[in-house]
Amino acid sequence: MIHFNDVTKIYNGNVKAIEDMNFTVEKGELVIMLGPSGCGKTTLLRMVNQLESITDGDIMLNGKSVRHSNKIEMRRNIGYVIQSNGLFPNMNIEDNAMIVPNLLGWDRKKMRDRFNTLMELVGLNPDEYRKRYPHELSGGQQQRVGVARALAADPPVMLMDEPFGALDPIIRTHLQEEFLQIQKELKKTILFVSHDIDEAVKMADKIALLKGGKMMQYAEPARMLNKPANSFVAEFVGQDRVLKSMSLYTVKDLANALTLKPVLESPDSQNINENLSLRVAISKILNQEADQLIVENDNGTRKGSITLDLIEQFLHREIKESV
Amino acid sequence: MERKNKTIALFIKLIFWALLVAFFIWAFSNNMFSTIWEQPDTFLRLLGEHITIVLLSGAAAVLIAVPLGIFVTRPKFRKSEWLIVGIANLGQTIPSLAVLALAMGFLGIGISAAVVALFVYSLLPILQNTIAGIDSVDDNMIDAAKGMGLTNAQILWKIELPNALTSIIAGVRTALVINIGTAALAYLVGAGGLGVWIFTGIRLFDNAFLMSGAVPVTLLAILIDYLFKWLQFALVPKGLRLARKAQNA
Repeated sequence: MIHFNDVTKIYNGNVKAIEDMNFTVEKGELVIMLGPSGCGKTTLLRMVNQLESITDGDIMLNGKSVRHSNKIEMRRNIGYVIQSNGLFPNMNIEDNAMIVPNLLGWDRKKMRDRFNTLMELVGLNPDEYRKRYPHELSGGQQQRVGVARALAADPPVMLMDEPFGALDPIIRTHLQEEFLQIQKELKKTILFVSHDIDEAVKMADKIALLKGGKMMQYAEPARMLNKPANSFVAEFVGQDRVLKSMSLYTVKDLANALTLKPVLESPDSQNINENLSLRVAISKILNQEADQLIVENDNGTRKGSITLDLIEQFLHREIKESV
Repeated sequence: MERKNKTIALFIKLIFWALLVAFFIWAFSNNMFSTIWEQPDTFLRLLGEHITIVLLSGAAAVLIAVPLGIFVTRPKFRKSEWLIVGIANLGQTIPSLAVLALAMGFLGIGISAAVVALFVYSLLPILQNTIAGIDSVDDNMIDAAKGMGLTNAQILWKIELPNALTSIIAGVRTALVINIGTAALAYLVGAGGLGVWIFTGIRLFDNAFLMSGAVPVTLLAILIDYLFKWLQFALVPKGLRLARKAQNA
């Protein structure tokens, strides 16, 4: 869907911001570009909707070169979300969210319906917020409207530049989870910039790790954590990469891969839902909350128990397997 | 602290209004405005001339300075900002009397010299406020607008100008209020206006002439000031007005 083809960006004749970038974002994938500040991730993102020019090479969007597309028309077909939401203070929430449909000349009825749908989708009451103004909303609410605005004309592709970066950690986690739910439903092709490895591991289908305008590794989160391509990647994802990779697996994954231990009635046990991540499971064990965790499904049926050894066994298997 | 400041502000306002009322009582009881009652036709003519000079020069300044401000804030023409602001600055730096004299040198005696002089004099506040207003629009907002596919013209009309409007109107208001005072000098280039009575009063030591000219000029300035406050209220988008209020609260 988005195909980077030897993309190069040179500033002032000699500063190379992006060098020979080659990768593909498949349809329906959420790809997070990650890297230290100045690595060129935002520049690369902005080259897709031509807010930055391309010095050499090309980006193909759905088979069409972005360099040779009509910029205005192309941008109206790409959802764009930025960190500081960029809502317009002179317009109310409805006008803000419906700005692209408005440009596209939708009729009132269609816009109203779309606004209602989108606001429900991002978890805001449409009638409560319709006539309010951006400054009356909290940061989290503003960013929800920012996401709704980007989705307004139902673009197949979305570009998101640290959309949750300015929010406090609790709200950020909330919005990340909600957005993942939305994405599950809508299956947009998303290019997302972040500097937060945890955010990337949690949300991305693939991570593109950049440094100095070059691609360090482009891989699924599990692969990047378990099998970093070079020392920079290993350092960037952190010494605790094994722990991070555990948030990629649920207790259920473990239960499907290995045989659970039988449930022993002992005071040192706790229940855990099978849909929680292994990271939660191991934290519980390491916190001395329990020696064994009894795995339950949503109906409360016990399926067996897990212990530290079992998790270790599972990781061993996964890391070996992904090699 | 907040309450204390409010009390002080209210107190000062009260003193101001009390002084004003006292002044008018004194002026009326001493027949200071007798000239107005004795020559109502002349008064209306002078007032008309005064307003004509101010409005013509003001309208011309708005028509030139606002588009000029928009022009120099376009990224392509940004480099011309220093030149244009520099020229406008020059108009403002030269004393108003000298601008009048210069204008008279070119255009001879009459209303056109006064209008041109005041026009030159009004350019800078309007131009500067237009530039400042457009510059104050958050870059992220412009970036978002561009990224969503607004054309440059749409960004100007839907985003930049509405958000700069408060500042632009404030510039016009400043320019006009200054002009009402400066237009009293128009008498010197034979353009009439209430300056005729003011200068007559000064020459003849006649307070009745002086007051009959000066007080209407002052009232006119206050009136314009209020008119523009109302205009600001009416024209600036509601969301911005509320945001400003919330910020000040």
